[in-house]
Amino acid sequence: MVGSPVLLIAIPLLAAFLIPLLGIFWKELVRIIPGLVLGYLTILSASLYIDVLNTGTIVETIAGWRAPWGINLVFSPLTGFLATLMTFIGFIIWLYSYRFKRNVEFEAAKKYFIFLMLLVAGSIGIVITGDIFNQFVFIEIVGISAYALTAFYTGRNSAEAAFKYLIMGSLSASALLIAIILIYSQLGTLNMAEIAANIHNMPPQYRVTAMIFFIIGIGVEAEIFPLNGWAPDAYTEAPGPVGSAFAGIVVKAGIYAMVRMMFTLFDISGPMQILIIIGMITLVVAETSALRQVQLKRMLAYSSIGQMGLVLVAFGMGTKAGVFAALFLMLNHAIIKPLLFFSGSYLVFNSKEKNISEMSGLGKLMPFTAAFFALGSFAIVGLPPFAGFWSKLSVLTAAANDGLLLIIAIVLLVSIVEIVYYFRVINRIYFFKFDKATSVVPHKPRVNALIAMAILAILILVIGFYPDSVSEILNRASEDLLNTPDYIKNVLSTGQSLTY
Amino acid sequence: MEIIYLIFILFLSGAIATFLLGKVSKRLRDIAFITTLVVPSVLFFTQINIGQTVDFSVLGIHLSWGITNFSYIFAYIVLGLGVLAGIYAVAAMKGKENLGFFFFNYILSIMAMMGILFSRDLISFFVFWEIMTWSSYLMVVFTGKDVQKVGIKYFIFSAIGAYAMLMAIVITYSLTGSMMISNLIFAFPDFEFGMQILIPVLLLIGFGVKSAMMPLHVWAVGSYSHSPMAYTAVFSGALSKMGIYGMIIVMAGLVSRIPEGYWFREVIAWMGAITAVGGTLWAVAQDDAKKMLAYSSVAQLGYIIIGIAIGTPLAMLASLFMAILHGMFKGTLFMAVGAIEKQTGTTNFTEVTGLIRKMPFTFLASLMSIIALAGIPPLGGFIGKWMLYESVIGSNHYLLIIVIFFSSTAAFLYCYKFLFGFFLGQEEKEWAHVKEAPAMMVVPMVILAIGTFIFGVFPGLILNPIDAGLQELGYAVTQGRYWEMSVLFNEWGDTVVLQPILYTILAVFVFFLAFVLTKNFKKTRYVSTKDISSSGEIPKEHENLTFSRGFFQPFLRSVEPLMRRKIDPYYNSFGRGMEAIFDFVRRIYTGNGQTYALYVVVFALLLLIFKDRLWG
Repeated sequence: MVGSPVLLIAIPLLAAFLIPLLGIFWKELVRIIPGLVLGYLTILSASLYIDVLNTGTIVETIAGWRAPWGINLVFSPLTGFLATLMTFIGFIIWLYSYRFKRNVEFEAAKKYFIFLMLLVAGSIGIVITGDIFNQFVFIEIVGISAYALTAFYTGRNSAEAAFKYLIMGSLSASALLIAIILIYSQLGTLNMAEIAANIHNMPPQYRVTAMIFFIIGIGVEAEIFPLNGWAPDAYTEAPGPVGSAFAGIVVKAGIYAMVRMMFTLFDISGPMQILIIIGMITLVVAETSALRQVQLKRMLAYSSIGQMGLVLVAFGMGTKAGVFAALFLMLNHAIIKPLLFFSGSYLVFNSKEKNISEMSGLGKLMPFTAAFFALGSFAIVGLPPFAGFWSKLSVLTAAANDGLLLIIAIVLLVSIVEIVYYFRVINRIYFFKFDKATSVVPHKPRVNALIAMAILAILILVIGFYPDSVSEILNRASEDLLNTPDYIKNVLSTGQSLTY
Repeated sequence: MEIIYLIFILFLSGAIATFLLGKVSKRLRDIAFITTLVVPSVLFFTQINIGQTVDFSVLGIHLSWGITNFSYIFAYIVLGLGVLAGIYAVAAMKGKENLGFFFFNYILSIMAMMGILFSRDLISFFVFWEIMTWSSYLMVVFTGKDVQKVGIKYFIFSAIGAYAMLMAIVITYSLTGSMMISNLIFAFPDFEFGMQILIPVLLLIGFGVKSAMMPLHVWAVGSYSHSPMAYTAVFSGALSKMGIYGMIIVMAGLVSRIPEGYWFREVIAWMGAITAVGGTLWAVAQDDAKKMLAYSSVAQLGYIIIGIAIGTPLAMLASLFMAILHGMFKGTLFMAVGAIEKQTGTTNFTEVTGLIRKMPFTFLASLMSIIALAGIPPLGGFIGKWMLYESVIGSNHYLLIIVIFFSSTAAFLYCYKFLFGFFLGQEEKEWAHVKEAPAMMVVPMVILAIGTFIFGVFPGLILNPIDAGLQELGYAVTQGRYWEMSVLFNEWGDTVVLQPILYTILAVFVFFLAFVLTKNFKKTRYVSTKDISSSGEIPKEHENLTFSRGFFQPFLRSVEPLMRRKIDPYYNSFGRGMEAIFDFVRRIYTGNGQTYALYVVVFALLLLIFKDRLWG
């Protein structure tokens, strides 16, 4: 045993508190420690995950309290997959932002890295915890660090964006708390497995009300339609790497919480109309809003929201194929969207407004960054032979198997809108003339950022040319999500679990 | 390793190598480019056997690659034209910027087209189809002209087509549990009625876009005329044939096997006819050679579509024959226009005149291609057109044949205009400096032009493979006696007596030419075009004696009501309307925190109202 799941949460939390202290001795430590931590977490999580795939789910009880009473962490094929993905993306984000504000401002960099660690710790916590109140706490940790990161550039706009996020976040937190209270009052437990085992004993009116509040509570982090007003502002105002952290890590945690709640907690099997409807509305509204955006990051934000809508639609089908497709989409989105944010924020680096119209002719001046952006765009709109195609195909085949022809048609029509706005940007970058008066001054990316982008680009190509490299993992994860009885059994029988 | 994989690996690695070598040395890049086109082509024609397949699976879906008799026909077009236009491109694009990128996309499109022909399953088919689409898109926007309009329009239409196809593919998968094309064809008659209609319609939209069938053609003219001419030769000659390839599979494999197939046939045939007429009329009206040829391509594909829709063995034979020939002569013509553009800097008929003595080989190639295009014997176009007419009449489509005759006759007008505008007419001082294009550009054109002649005289050379391909599609075995299907080959007996006749015609021509040359050789005196006198007046230097402006005004006036019906404005206003709607949707995100908080409350209320439907 190389370590245990609890380290995935404990180490980044500890690091977050140690960063300012160690920064007193040597300023560079502020940058190095997050990298070490995230690198270690990636290795730890990956090796744990391999163990899990070979031997079965790891359930860890905290402080010796057995499952129904104490808090426990569940590291299963699904949660392990997401945790590994998050730590990996976290590591890439660190690599990209290693020189963030270096030689400029120490305080700012310190804050950035502290909150980044908290963000990652919280997101992993949301995914691997087996206790709803614990999950609530982690959602709050993520929320608070996300507000702080949104307000990072202490300007008027970022403060406003953070404030909006704060309002939405607090509303959702109270809704979530109400849901938890309702469940606790009825079932007397906070353990997800035990709730899942007893949920059908709960009176329907309580059950439905609890579910509604859950949806509202988690929906804000999962960026579902009427609750995602904060997202475009937050993505736009936060620094570039934070945008990719939101898209690559935070949203994934939100989506996970949502589907865990639907699939396991409320033990719904079969198609879930609510997820499909919400997902479709989110998809359509977000993608169509993206078409007329002026700012690059805002466009990427809407695109990100839209993709999450599609993920929810795929989950909502409730079949194995649907869940597989949804997880595949999450994986691809976690790789592609950070690449777009990384390269996109370098393309508009020196611009004040960050407008798309300022990107004319940058393809010649920043060949690598522009190429990465183009690759990301090709991949996210689902052009073969890049990664996004296979996930889109899985969604469509899953929908076709359920006979959801209308959904296929809408998804494809929306894809055309998506193509239009991404290709407009690509055209501008590559086939417009560079104009000194209106274009941004190019900013050469640092080596570490290029490496980070290159890793993501290679992953896109690998998955694109050889999708079977990930299909086994996704298969196991989707089986795991659908198998609620096993989840309950694994958690409640503490025989083979670790004790601390 | 399987040769099939090797071909694709060579294409892909060659494309990347060409791109990277472009950063090192221009000569190396050109060599790598030509090698990448030639080596896989040689491998393909020597090592690949028909029927040989490789199987593998992706995401649990069984995929298979292999060439069939039918796709082999199209491989001739793709690789033949691809290599020749590639050689042309090296010379034609010399000195342009970003050539590594151009060659990269060029190779990728050739690879994608070969991939389409190799695909025996729908997923590989779609993957290659999309690679073809985006690589050709990058060529359309390569010159940087009108990218947001022409380029995006091309991609939107391609995406509509591709996604319609993708929808059909996933529905097929859910119905048959297999992605193999053969399984789709096999299981199709047992599908329920709705699916029997929906799947062919969706597929035909997909293929109709690529083959520029009206009303899905609006992207074609801008895209053909905006991409570099070296690529347009492939674009119009080979890439649009992929739409034909798919359409034939749909029409022969699916539509002909259901009772409703009759209506499909009629509708598609008429759409083809409208395409032919509309394309021809608009081609006549153009003053720019690129646009004229682009419209002409649309029109020619209309004929091919008619043949496919009629669907009798003879019609199929005619269509496939015309598809190959069209690839050859339209490729040549686009190359010729590219040569003229390179040498003179413009492609406008009203500006360039009298190039016949300056660019004799280009003229020769254009002349032969134009004759083939117009369908005059002994060049290849004649045989294709003849068989098409015969099949249309033979299947009792009398109204259709009138329309086809009309557009076919009108096509002579633009054929003439092309020859006259560029090559004949008065020699202007402005173009005195023009020289013949470099040999690397001329040779591919001449080879293709000679090819149209050879196929016109020996149609059996390609009718044989076409016949084999048709049998694979389920048409009756003719024991290789394809000629029995047309009076052209049968009127005078049971063998191909066309050739002796053609030889006779040719001999007469050669004899006459030799006679004229020998008799008048001594007396030949080169004069300028102003060296004439009309009614005793000798024209001055500045006087314009030609009518290069405003060709065919009376004709255009008479068909003007027909040409007033344009679909493009409707698409444009639809697009603008959608953008306006989307802009309105965008305003849902007001940017006001209070509204967002309100949304949360409204959302909660909505969920409460519909709470009974939440479960399940």
